[in-house]
Amino acid sequence: MIGPTPAQIAEELRHFQARLAEGAHTLRSLSPIETGVLPRDPVYQEDKLVLYRYRPRVTEPHPIPLLIVYALVNRPYMMDLQEDRSLIRGLLDAGLDVYLIDWGYPDAGDRHLRLADYVLRYIAHCVDHLRERHDQDSINLLGVCQGGALSLCFTALHPAKVRNLVTMVTPVDFHTPDNVLTHLIRHVDVDLLVDTLGNLPGQLLNFTFLSLSPFRLAGQKYVDLVDILDDAQALRNFLRMEKWIFDSPDQAGEAFRQFAKDFFQQNKLIKGEVVIGEQRVDLRNVVMPVLNVYATQDHLVPPAASKALAEYCGSRDYSELSFEGGHIGIYVSGRAQREVPPALAAWLLER
Amino acid sequence: MAEQTAPSDPSGFDIEWLLEQARTYLAFGEQLQPLNERFYETLDHRDGDWGEALRQHFDQLKAALAEAADDPGGHPDLARLWTVILDTWRQTAASLGAPATLAPLAGAKTEHWRTYQKVQGQYLDLLRQAAKEALDLMEQRLGERAIAGTAVESLRELYNLWVECNEETYGRMLRSPDYGVLNGRLLNALLSCHAQGDTPT
Repeated sequence: MIGPTPAQIAEELRHFQARLAEGAHTLRSLSPIETGVLPRDPVYQEDKLVLYRYRPRVTEPHPIPLLIVYALVNRPYMMDLQEDRSLIRGLLDAGLDVYLIDWGYPDAGDRHLRLADYVLRYIAHCVDHLRERHDQDSINLLGVCQGGALSLCFTALHPAKVRNLVTMVTPVDFHTPDNVLTHLIRHVDVDLLVDTLGNLPGQLLNFTFLSLSPFRLAGQKYVDLVDILDDAQALRNFLRMEKWIFDSPDQAGEAFRQFAKDFFQQNKLIKGEVVIGEQRVDLRNVVMPVLNVYATQDHLVPPAASKALAEYCGSRDYSELSFEGGHIGIYVSGRAQREVPPALAAWLLER
Repeated sequence: MAEQTAPSDPSGFDIEWLLEQARTYLAFGEQLQPLNERFYETLDHRDGDWGEALRQHFDQLKAALAEAADDPGGHPDLARLWTVILDTWRQTAASLGAPATLAPLAGAKTEHWRTYQKVQGQYLDLLRQAAKEALDLMEQRLGERAIAGTAVESLRELYNLWVECNEETYGRMLRSPDYGVLNGRLLNALLSCHAQGDTPT
């Protein structure tokens, strides 16, 4: 059999059309979609950056605060997407005191922000604020994806201020053979890009991510959506994720220039050749306990790109946590909720 | 503290995109329906020569898609089956302030614009080739399933197989050295137009 008979196809098409017509009506009648559900309070602001403290969920949270440094790409509410998909909630439930940097949306006025501004000014000021606020010499740092690379830079330059470092789906070696993003950016004239556009438009990043799997991400996903159009809860979950995917801030031009050239194109992080401000980043200075979390099916940051940290960092207390899933699933899948936050919290609380 | 968006918010969900993809799926089904009809007729006439009927079926399907590829305007919903990434690229290019249509080369004003159009044409050729290979792969997979005695139960299953095959051939193309170079050239060419303030006719 090649497949269904013509009559069966006709019936399937009729059924699909009917569900679509009904579902499109449901879609239009939905109330606004909310993301980022846990209560939090701004405790520090600088330019467009806001540092939030999530309200503790235990009476006496752990005295060492945990600062989450998210990527500049996409929005950090992925860490607290909805009630039952929140890595932050899991960390709070385990007794941690959790802070998160929201970078905001860079605009034309931010095109001259350099990586030095992000690492030596924004992250450094947040870390110092928390050290002072909690009367601690050092704090715990959790860097996510690109935020992990920035955290590594900060930690290598200020190791005394970081008690424990957690990196999640963080690229370290950008030239592993399976790194598709490097493959795509390798021949881009980054100087022409930044000189022409100023900031890197978020829509260009969206295109890059879609182009990795267009038939699934731009086609099949929406055909499958028709199956759940009558399920309001499933639909809201889908829309919440959809909102996050396309909520892509522009990237500050100069910071992007350096990140694209030094990290992606020239793989300087593992060579010890990245210079932030006027200081060279040497990963051997990352001597505190390190937990490196990677996802086995990560199509954006291949496991090998993350696991390279074992070879290049200077820590004698280096551990890895392997999650069976993808780059997004590690935050939002049901299994991730059960496995990842308790493991992170246990590792931190032991140290 | 929650962040909100309405479904019509540009940063949120675009219902029109859903409808477009749904129309594409419908076009896929409508294209398969008469071909399936002929497939069953062929099967009857050839006393159940399944392999020959499948070959004929796919030849017709390839011809139909090739026609849509050569003239997307003739059947845009069908053409979108394999030009989805090109459509997304054009929207992206437009958002950067540079119109990115496949205007005739003769209508181009400057060397930069001609270069961009040429590279975009090469990009289209790579996509077209990957799409053709996907149909070959799909034909092969269906043949394997027939030998294994595994029937395809529904149009959706056929569509999913089609997606799987396209992802496989597209993925191979994406990871090839040629694509990496072309992807860079495409963006660089567009940026050169933008930098020079070129506009197409």
